Amino acid sequence: MMEKLYLIARIADTRVALRSRAIHSVVTVGAPVEVPAAPPHVAGLFALRSRVFTLIDPHVVIGLPPVPVAAGQRVIVIEVAEHGYALLADEIEDVCFIDAPETRIAGKLLPGWARVADAMIEHDGASLLVVDPSHLITLPSLKAA
Amino acid sequence: MDDLLNDFLAETAEILSDAGGAIVSWEADPADRAQLDAIFRFVHTIKGSSGFLSLPRVTALAHAAEDALDQVRRGNRTADAALVSAVLGIIDRLNMLCAALGQEGIEPAGDDSDAIGALSVQERPEPAATPAAVAGVPLRRREEDFGADLNGWRSIRVPLPLLDSVMTGVTDIVLARNEFARMLRESGADSATIAAFDRLSDSIAGMRQSVSQMRMQRIDKLFAPLPRIVRDLAQELGKKIAFQTSGGEVELDREMMENIRDPLIHIVRNAIDHGIETLDDRVAAGKEITATISVAARQSGNQIEIEVRDDGRGLSPDALVAKAIASRLVTAADARALSPREKLELIFRPGFSTAAKVTAVSGRGVGMDIVKANVEKIGGIVELRNDEGRGLAILLRVPMTLTIISGLMVRAAGQYFAIPRGAVREILLESGDTVRIDRVGGGELATVRGEQFPLLRLETILGCERDSDDDADDRALVIVRPGQGQSYALSVAAIHDHEELVIKPAAPMIMATGLYAGTTLPDNGRPVLLLDVQGLLAVAGIDASEAGRNKDGLADAEADALATRNAAQLLLFRDTDARVRGVRLSVIERVEDVPTNALFESAGRVQAQIGGEIFPVHAAKPPAGDGNIKLLRLHDGRAVLCYPIAEVIDIVRLPDAIQSSAAPGLIAGVVLVGGEPVELVDPFWLMEQHAGGARAPGLREPLCHLADDHDGWGANFLAPILRSAGYRVTAAGEAADETPDLLLLLSDDDGKCDHIAGEVPVIRLRSSAAASAPDDHSVYRYDREGLLAAMRRRVGGTRP
Repeated sequence: MMEKLYLIARIADTRVALRSRAIHSVVTVGAPVEVPAAPPHVAGLFALRSRVFTLIDPHVVIGLPPVPVAAGQRVIVIEVAEHGYALLADEIEDVCFIDAPETRIAGKLLPGWARVADAMIEHDGASLLVVDPSHLITLPSLKAA
Repeated sequence: MDDLLNDFLAETAEILSDAGGAIVSWEADPADRAQLDAIFRFVHTIKGSSGFLSLPRVTALAHAAEDALDQVRRGNRTADAALVSAVLGIIDRLNMLCAALGQEGIEPAGDDSDAIGALSVQERPEPAATPAAVAGVPLRRREEDFGADLNGWRSIRVPLPLLDSVMTGVTDIVLARNEFARMLRESGADSATIAAFDRLSDSIAGMRQSVSQMRMQRIDKLFAPLPRIVRDLAQELGKKIAFQTSGGEVELDREMMENIRDPLIHIVRNAIDHGIETLDDRVAAGKEITATISVAARQSGNQIEIEVRDDGRGLSPDALVAKAIASRLVTAADARALSPREKLELIFRPGFSTAAKVTAVSGRGVGMDIVKANVEKIGGIVELRNDEGRGLAILLRVPMTLTIISGLMVRAAGQYFAIPRGAVREILLESGDTVRIDRVGGGELATVRGEQFPLLRLETILGCERDSDDDADDRALVIVRPGQGQSYALSVAAIHDHEELVIKPAAPMIMATGLYAGTTLPDNGRPVLLLDVQGLLAVAGIDASEAGRNKDGLADAEADALATRNAAQLLLFRDTDARVRGVRLSVIERVEDVPTNALFESAGRVQAQIGGEIFPVHAAKPPAGDGNIKLLRLHDGRAVLCYPIAEVIDIVRLPDAIQSSAAPGLIAGVVLVGGEPVELVDPFWLMEQHAGGARAPGLREPLCHLADDHDGWGANFLAPILRSAGYRVTAAGEAADETPDLLLLLSDDDGKCDHIAGEVPVIRLRSSAAASAPDDHSVYRYDREGLLAAMRRRVGGTRP
């Protein structure tokens, strides 16, 4: 039933349902360590127990300016290709079991969202974008920035 | 019982993989008693443990091999190629049985009498006339590389995930300890508590060390199967290869090792199949017949470098491009735009294979693209160092992630970074007396005690602002040596300290910057990036090569290399009469391999047609039968003579002591090569016998003009003789642009001679045998010797 579990979070004023398969946990971070010369969506590094995680700012991935990292902020820890990442979110609501089927995206999205969103889903009388968290790790290949 | 069987299989697999390498090196040096004893113990151990588990086939095989080896140990038998092959055959059969045992849990039924029977075959003495088809593989292995002592099998097997969890656990303990230590200090604990805590702290540090070593393995495990692969492949392809490994003591993470095993084997196979030329090609290129392939591992900074070097033909960028265009990987237009480096890197394109035809050896669809992908998967890179015609070195650089390295912590832009201690040569202060910093054309240069280094500022490379708290006048300079023959100065805000660091790979997008080699978590719990000291150079776009910075050293090295190349070399070959002879390599233009029917007898001597040209051959009669014959093409600067041989054996340094022959002849003398007498062929005598052989084209031959040739006798009878004697001939009526060197008057009529231009010498031919007067300097026209002698006196003909 894991497929039906979603983590609902708010990223760039959009409520999204993140598929929970790749999600490890939700934790709070202290001040991350900067990575000079890294791609813009890399917000830094932080350690969780003995592991080092890469902090990703999904705002940059969907084409918005980066948001500052506040100390004590909660982040979504995911694992992609044996590397640990953490996603910055404006707000992390809850993990929900959503029984409704995923439906095709109706309407036109901003290009940044269109690239990462897979589908839409109905929950509590609202439409949420279904996003696979691993899509939020990679930047679109930039054309002459 | 199952546990026992599993233990047996694991142990046997390990023994068998070691045994293959040991046997091949024993073959190279049968006198190596230690190696023989080791192999004996290998099979003895297998025999013992298989008997206990009642595995009759395994026991019988091991027993047979043990028996045969024991005969050798007692001196009743000598180790020859047949015995070695038979023992290797037994090892293969044991491997097969163990694989079946592992899958089915029981020993499969079958017959091993063939494998056991092969042990009793004695090698027949080699018939002198037929060349040996088997190329030997001399093998050198440094002793310290040959692995761990034989008691090294006393080990247990632990699944990797378990090791990983132990390792993470220990790292967590370390972090908790640090937290606790800080709290202790702040709470002002009494000294007894602190002393107890320090003891705990020390044992945790020791434990962390041991745990990290658990995952590490000596890299010679990876090298162990290679000697066998080289031997078998070299025999199959009829090549002679000396295989060497070094740096087997370098340690690498087990998982990493798994990932580079196949790429490494593939590269070695490629080198044997494509890189190393055939024996004849090597001779033609003036190389040692025995090719060398070396595999070397070393730790270089934060990376492990594994280099596979061969002295074969190297890569030809043009051939690669042609191949890539033919297989439609690039268009001809794109190919023109490629840099030399990009041309070489075509071999990494999927679907590319350098072999002209797909061979059984390496044409298996596994290409260099897979090698590259595998190495890059673990954060490594593949580098080509090509020396066209002289060899190729393929360098695998893999990060030492999951390993513990000693790191130097430096600060820049208010942040800490780690530099592998191994790559740091020296640490200085920028303001120090020994350091001078110059700005040259926008770049910076640090001169330390007369030695110059390109200067990189860490903040600039990382694209950061300098931290305002850092003291701009008190920066530190780290002299970094990222690899052999490279060095540069890295300027940082401050040096912090040394720390033992566990390096883990960073996320792919961070590794992709090329600036970082991994991440590490020091004791304070704040992640630190490990700088890629080689990558910094690439990003900064600086050539940090030390070559050329010190002029004298460079010149010396070149002179040395030149002297080695100039040493006289001797080509050893087996003559058609089966004798081993030698000839100075420098007189050999090339070795031709031609069908026997290209040789024919004509005009009283044997000639060979090679391509569109005909050359004289030193032979009494053309060879009989079909097939091919090898010809040494001797060249004296003007003429070519072919010398038929049975086969090329080797190229050696020409010994100084030559026992000269009493009388001039084919053999100029005898030298000792490797304790065996070798007859030295005298190229001078050979050329003399063949009267200079065929003329190399391009030499100016004297021009002889035939005058008064009314009846065509000159053109029909005389001209062919003159031409074969090395003159060019023009007759009356043929327009000659140049003044003839000689005039032949074919008429007895005296009066005609005055139309001859003053300077040109004249010979008059007369039709009567007897001279008409005492002062008659004419020559009888059928006196061949007399005429040629007279012509030679006038102009110096080219041939007696």
